Amino acid sequence: MGPQLSWYLALSAILFTIGAVGVIVKRNVIAMFMCIELMLNAVNLSFVAFSSFFHDVTGQLFVFIVMTVAAAEAAVGLGIIITIFRNRESLDVDDANILKL
Amino acid sequence: MAIGCAIAMVSQSNPLYSAISLIGVFISLASIYVTLAAPFIAAVQVIVYAGAIMVLVIFVIMLLNVEHSEPRRKRLKFLVPMAIGMAAVLLAETVFILNSVQTTENHLPGNISDVGLTHSIGEGLFTRYLLPFELTSVLLLMAIVGAMSLARRTSVLSATARVVPGAQVLAMDIVNPRGVEDLRKAETETTEEAAHLLGVDFHSDRGAQE
Repeated sequence: MGPQLSWYLALSAILFTIGAVGVIVKRNVIAMFMCIELMLNAVNLSFVAFSSFFHDVTGQLFVFIVMTVAAAEAAVGLGIIITIFRNRESLDVDDANILKL
Repeated sequence: MAIGCAIAMVSQSNPLYSAISLIGVFISLASIYVTLAAPFIAAVQVIVYAGAIMVLVIFVIMLLNVEHSEPRRKRLKFLVPMAIGMAAVLLAETVFILNSVQTTENHLPGNISDVGLTHSIGEGLFTRYLLPFELTSVLLLMAIVGAMSLARRTSVLSATARVVPGAQVLAMDIVNPRGVEDLRKAETETTEEAAHLLGVDFHSDRGAQE
């Protein structure tokens, strides 16, 4: 008996849950950012699992696009983090409680 | 291994350690992709995530250099049990769905297929999914412009602006000495005289001791 689809989906769900907990619990902006990356990766894992179990390449195409979006998000997000840190001298999300620089 | 690295990542207080744990998660996910017969995605995972994005994150962590962790505030204390409860709900949903939906043939096929190779991915990307591909390129362009305009230092400093490590702020007449009109030579004997001539408020330590 080889690896089953549900194992990969369970692993994906566990990783997604850990990422979601991290986003809620963490206060550091960069740590929250990395938790969001973890959630994106969990979704990618389930995409790839479905794609290879159903012999369909579409899932992997969408993983490719998700990775591109994650890279763009990383660039813009880190730019925002640097700007907030310049103005507030803090990485705590509670200090950034107004939507104005 | 992926789960262990992920738990380590969330539980670390130092963002640098959690970034390194996240690299562990990415690498183990890449190896899972290889076992799922998706070598192209595995390679892109290692290059883009573990390479580019994590280098960017670690660079920002080093640049901002905040290591001390302040004590948790009272307002946020209720978030930890709430997060654990929500996680339990999410996991319970997953277990329920996995138990109830078991209809598909779910064994990894043994025969070699071309799904997941670079050829098939490229073919799909440039034929059926050309529009999402082009939208992604436009999104990347927007991200480049946005990141540049965010990271650009504005010329006029606000009242709350301070100098952070890695960002030097200089006064205008130091940057541009031609902006100063009076360029005659001035000779002084002491530092106080020079300070008076320059109009700078100067207090020497020696004068304070005397």
